[in-house]
Amino acid sequence: MFRYNLSTVFLLLAAFLVQQFVPAFTGLSHSRILFVHLVFLCSAVTVATPTMLLLAFIGGILWDAHCSLAPIMADPEVYTQPVESLRFGYSILLFAGMGFLMQGLKPIFQQGKWHFSALLSGVAIFLYLAAEFILISFVRGDFTVTRSILRLMTYTSLLSMLFSPMIFWLLYRLAKIFDHSLYPEANRPKRR
Amino acid sequence: MKPLNLIALLLFLAGATWALTRSQRMVRDIQVGYFKAISPTLKSGSALETKVRDLLEETRHSKALETELNAVRSETGRLRIIESRFQALERENAELRHALDFKKATNFDVVAAQIIRRHPTTWWQTLEIDAGEDKGIGIQLSVLSNDGLVGIIDRPFKHRSSVLLITDEKCQVSVRVESSPEVGILSGQRGEFDNNPTLRLRFLSKDAALQSGQRVFTTGRGGIFQPTILVGTIISVEKGPLDSEALVRPAVNLSDLGTVFVVLSENH
Repeated sequence: MFRYNLSTVFLLLAAFLVQQFVPAFTGLSHSRILFVHLVFLCSAVTVATPTMLLLAFIGGILWDAHCSLAPIMADPEVYTQPVESLRFGYSILLFAGMGFLMQGLKPIFQQGKWHFSALLSGVAIFLYLAAEFILISFVRGDFTVTRSILRLMTYTSLLSMLFSPMIFWLLYRLAKIFDHSLYPEANRPKRR
Repeated sequence: MKPLNLIALLLFLAGATWALTRSQRMVRDIQVGYFKAISPTLKSGSALETKVRDLLEETRHSKALETELNAVRSETGRLRIIESRFQALERENAELRHALDFKKATNFDVVAAQIIRRHPTTWWQTLEIDAGEDKGIGIQLSVLSNDGLVGIIDRPFKHRSSVLLITDEKCQVSVRVESSPEVGILSGQRGEFDNNPTLRLRFLSKDAALQSGQRVFTTGRGGIFQPTILVGTIISVEKGPLDSEALVRPAVNLSDLGTVFVVLSENH
């Protein structure tokens, strides 16, 4: 089990490398496939809570290192209303929130029904993006949802969700290599 | 709750608090470490993106010709910027002479850079260029193209830099409208992810007599951008009860940029 948990950490780190090769689809409102989030979500349903929290911490901190903007030091007399950014580290909490959401389906997943978790990964990514947008609106003021934003969130979550069977297959392979059962309930003999 | 889960949750919260309370310097150190670690894939990813883009644009030049063309484009762009700068200085000089005033001449030194990655993040309007601290690039330097203002340097690293585009809400520019006394703050708009984003010019006077087609230039105030850099053209004006706002089309086609220029010297 320990070796499998460790392998999910390495898989998450590998997802950061893969993410560098994934461009934004400019024709689809700059939507993209979020491999990092997807690997985290799929892993979260296969591991225990402590490991999920560790993955959330690693994923969140590295994602913020990837994305966060520097503060702009301008003359406050000219730029009287500076625009704030999200604080470094906020993704850690969002990742954990998504992880707990995924763990809610763990009993069904352990019965071998991974399809529900695959669908939920898309929903979780949509909620993650929605939460990010709400946080940005809260920090900067003026909450306006445009079609472009909705398209970005919808396409990103759908595109990412399409790859979730592949990630589950990878996790299944890793579990097999490290002699760990992902579906203990499904493998248990049924009692009459 | 199981004791192990409780301990894990407490440790997690302690870690999250630690991350949320990091100083900007520490955040930068973490980012430098992160980008250093992924540097090999970053280069490969950027190269792949550039190749795909070249393929889509049906570039049929040979590699040597393409390199030569890029070099010539960079040089032409640099010279055009310097030329336009000289023209602007000439005009400014005439105006200043007319007003019997004097202003220190500026030194406009630029570094050409290629765009290696577009929109690497979900919400921010940024791109990455292949020049960094090794070429003298620092934080908050202006980035221009042949057509006008592109943005500012957000995070410089050793061999690459992140550029915050003018279409991002966070990038505010103090501007003036040509042939008018109107000055205001120009910034991108949230959620403009289409190919033709517009900018919002705020804090204009209530009765601003502006027309579509008027050009917008930087004022040079605020300590970031040099003066008289073309930013865009007014599309429409919305008059409010207290002030007016205008929508501005950026002068630069940001979706079709190849080479940009980072202004190294400060002139304010």
